[in-house]
Amino acid sequence: MNINGVGIVFNRGRGIKSLENALAEGWKKPENDCYKIPEEIFSDPVIMRNMRRADNLSKMTVLAALDALNDGGLLEEDKESLGIILATAFGPHPTTFKFLDDIIEYGDKNASPTTFSHSVHNAAISYASIIIQNRGPTLTITHFVESFYQALILAESWLIEERCKNILVGVADEYGEVMRYICNKKLNIARDGKIKPFLFSKTPEVVPGEGSVFFLISKTEKAKYASIKFSCEIDKGNEVDLCVLDSDGMTGSEEYYLKLTKNYNYFASYTPLFGSILTGSAFSCLVSVLMIKNQKIYASPVTYNPYKINLCDKTETRKLNIISCVKYDCSGEKIEFFVTK
Amino acid sequence: MQGFRFAISGFGIISACGNNISETISNFSSKKRNCGKLTLFNSNIECPVFEVKNFNSSSKNMRSLNLAFEAIKQALAESRLLEYKDSLRIGVSLGTTVASQLNDIDFYRNYKLKGEAPLDSVNRYLKGNLADAISRHFGFKGPRCTIVNACSSGTDAIGVGLSWLKADFCDAVICGGADELNLVPLAGFNSLGVVSNELCKPFDKNRKGLNLGEGAGIIIIEKEEICKKRGFSPDLFLNGYGLACDAYHLTAPRPDGSGLKKAIEKALTEAKIKPSEVSFVNAHGTATRDNDKTEGNVLKEIFGKDIKFLSTKGFTGHTLGAAGGIEAVFTALNLKLGWIPASAGFDEFDEEIGIAPVTDKTEIKGKYAISTSLAFGGNNSALVISRI
Repeated sequence: MNINGVGIVFNRGRGIKSLENALAEGWKKPENDCYKIPEEIFSDPVIMRNMRRADNLSKMTVLAALDALNDGGLLEEDKESLGIILATAFGPHPTTFKFLDDIIEYGDKNASPTTFSHSVHNAAISYASIIIQNRGPTLTITHFVESFYQALILAESWLIEERCKNILVGVADEYGEVMRYICNKKLNIARDGKIKPFLFSKTPEVVPGEGSVFFLISKTEKAKYASIKFSCEIDKGNEVDLCVLDSDGMTGSEEYYLKLTKNYNYFASYTPLFGSILTGSAFSCLVSVLMIKNQKIYASPVTYNPYKINLCDKTETRKLNIISCVKYDCSGEKIEFFVTK
Repeated sequence: MQGFRFAISGFGIISACGNNISETISNFSSKKRNCGKLTLFNSNIECPVFEVKNFNSSSKNMRSLNLAFEAIKQALAESRLLEYKDSLRIGVSLGTTVASQLNDIDFYRNYKLKGEAPLDSVNRYLKGNLADAISRHFGFKGPRCTIVNACSSGTDAIGVGLSWLKADFCDAVICGGADELNLVPLAGFNSLGVVSNELCKPFDKNRKGLNLGEGAGIIIIEKEEICKKRGFSPDLFLNGYGLACDAYHLTAPRPDGSGLKKAIEKALTEAKIKPSEVSFVNAHGTATRDNDKTEGNVLKEIFGKDIKFLSTKGFTGHTLGAAGGIEAVFTALNLKLGWIPASAGFDEFDEEIGIAPVTDKTEIKGKYAISTSLAFGGNNSALVISRI
């Protein structure tokens, strides 16, 4: 799977330049214990003209997907064979709660049809299809932690069976007030605002985040950025240049990550830039893609390192062929894919 | 020239039309419509619904997950696939709408009014991702994915399973959909003005909208050679899947039906068959003005006005994310039986549609059938299913 375009909307901005800036600047303290997307990022007058009623999940999805598509420079005729896959852990839950507000305040006979139509998980991708005018396969999936990984498997399937030649595959998740309440109840919020990905704690701390990342993947001979593989014919440890950990505190004990030190010898994590997001592996993937493209490693933004693992803590030019992206779920099951040159 | 095909080695069903295959066949034969008043939760909206009855699960799971488990249990018993779970890569691809939403109104009311609420329903939701819960429960080793493509989710989940098999990500897939009756879609569809206060009448001139239902429909698809190797002789197959987007409107289908047409044509192309080889169509047929008009016109255009078709939503109600799974099971079942039931609810021909569903139990000949789904977001999906 070759990556030929990328798009991102997150707390620090929109677009790949914003991500590069964030990687250069490093960690920044979150506002109100979370990394929300600033409202001004949604102010694109041209795109938002057609999305006046849309919620933030739809807006971030459309912006990231459009940026990835434009970055890929897809020809008009290639759009005929374009597919779109969105993975989301929670979907448009703030809109669902808004709809429940209607029911509670006005009764179930008087709820808003507009709110209802936006509370459906695939509303975001529907907006993207309308704005892109994509008539090809369009699918939304949800699988909490594994959402992005499963979206990649599906995208690869569609390319192999030639259902599509080009696919926009990405994630979007939103943080809202009810989710804040749930996170406060169920998780340990990092009061210093720092996710500590190398602490490998049994009870890790989180800083909730939100955002959207999209990749334009294609079956082209060459990749503009990098390729994604599910397995690599390699002697692991010797040839993987870097292992990027998606440890962000969201899935319980992070002791599992310590196992990786047997197989890999150089580690990084960028979760403190984006915040804790169940679909966060897409953000880690994007940084890995950028590193392969630029042949440059970026300093991990937060480097508490009690186990003294070999950590990437400064930005420098480096030859990179294969980066492993790893996430462990609540049960300790490893989810891994590789970003390659 | 024959296209690819994957064996259907088992199916399971639970809906208002029956809690298993034999009850379903019986209700199809007698044209019995098990519709009634809403009993599962309180609502001021007065309309008939199709609830699953006599289904008591002591489990504390979400009802959608329990419905899925019931249908999967039936499908696994038929396919005997569990005996091979350690040696085969078994994927799980399930569609839903309600089970994907954190929408418990009691939790939210407490949170809103008191500033705090017990997290029981949140925990249930977090453990209720259908594909994840099923796959982990059985210890399957293939990919797992919950599809949330609104009302085409069940059909698309089967399509995803087919894609995995074609790409060799697994050897067999448990796929379909499950959804429970819930206040949010009831209030939502009611707000859109598409809920009928009478029994639904798909494709009828005087149709007034949909009735909501619930249930689960599951099929097990697998590579034919693996199926045969383990001593199973399949007589039903999945031959094609098409998925196309309208790119038109969040809730209304594109009036010219070009998205649905594209999806059906893609499914036919994958199956390498002509429209004339299709013996019947299990249509989406929600009984809303827009859906039935668009869909009927597309079916007429592709298959001609004499095509045998029906909507089974007159027996099940609109089961949302489960519909595609349930209707795929019905399609496979009817191919096997050699007949389709009357399209329950249809009485009067609609000139605007220009085509009428079957009004009696009807014998069908031929190998192939199609099941269609249309959904919010402009999704259109179609499956081609065949028998030997």
